[in-house]
Amino acid sequence: HPFVFLSCQTAFVVDEVSTIIKESVEGAIGGNAYQHSRVNQWTTNVVEQSLSQLSKLGKPFKYIVTCVIMQKNGAGLQTASSCFWDNTTDGSCTVRWENKSMYCIVSVFGLAI
Amino acid sequence: MEEISGEEVLNISVCVVVSNLSILQCIQSIIGEESYRQDTVNQWTAKIVEQALTLLVKQTKSYKYIVSCAVMQKSGAGLHTANSCYWDTVTDGSCTVKWENRTMYCVVSVFAVSLTP
Repeated sequence: HPFVFLSCQTAFVVDEVSTIIKESVEGAIGGNAYQHSRVNQWTTNVVEQSLSQLSKLGKPFKYIVTCVIMQKNGAGLQTASSCFWDNTTDGSCTVRWENKSMYCIVSVFGLAI
Repeated sequence: MEEISGEEVLNISVCVVVSNLSILQCIQSIIGEESYRQDTVNQWTAKIVEQALTLLVKQTKSYKYIVSCAVMQKSGAGLHTANSCYWDTVTDGSCTVKWENRTMYCVVSVFAVSLTP
């Protein structure tokens, strides 16, 4: 159906974005244990790689990517976000990833231009 | 006496829109006197992002806003955050505010995306 095809080309598709994030996180920190000296570089790599892949989708969106990496030691972490945007065109996606030594939470916000 | 610390990175284009002091006051009013509690922290983060968003929208509606907040218990664990944005660097901007007391850290980021091209 032509209308559905068109909206897929210009819509914020959560599954598509989620796959990109998971690949970026795996690529940046998969197989690593938390290291204070490297975590700065890792968060940078995750957001930059995610953003690069998102912009390659070629959709008419501005993107904001946030990444939090926390060492596992029993501390509690809570995150929240709120948005003032266009409900019909804009969207977000949050991916939670973990291994034995750390948590990684990545959020993407897509704002239609 | 609880310790308050605030640092911000402000983009010039949102200087007039985002007042980091009002965000700090917003955080202070919600969790300033509190100690980290597992059963209420989700209510705190929800209140912080809602109130911060309300403050911003009151100032000006010519932006789309995203407010994100992280509250972490102080226990010696390392926490690192990063943001990257694909937008118009002339009209759009962000601001990050860091706050702490004896038992927890709070980091609030505001992203403002211009509605006028």
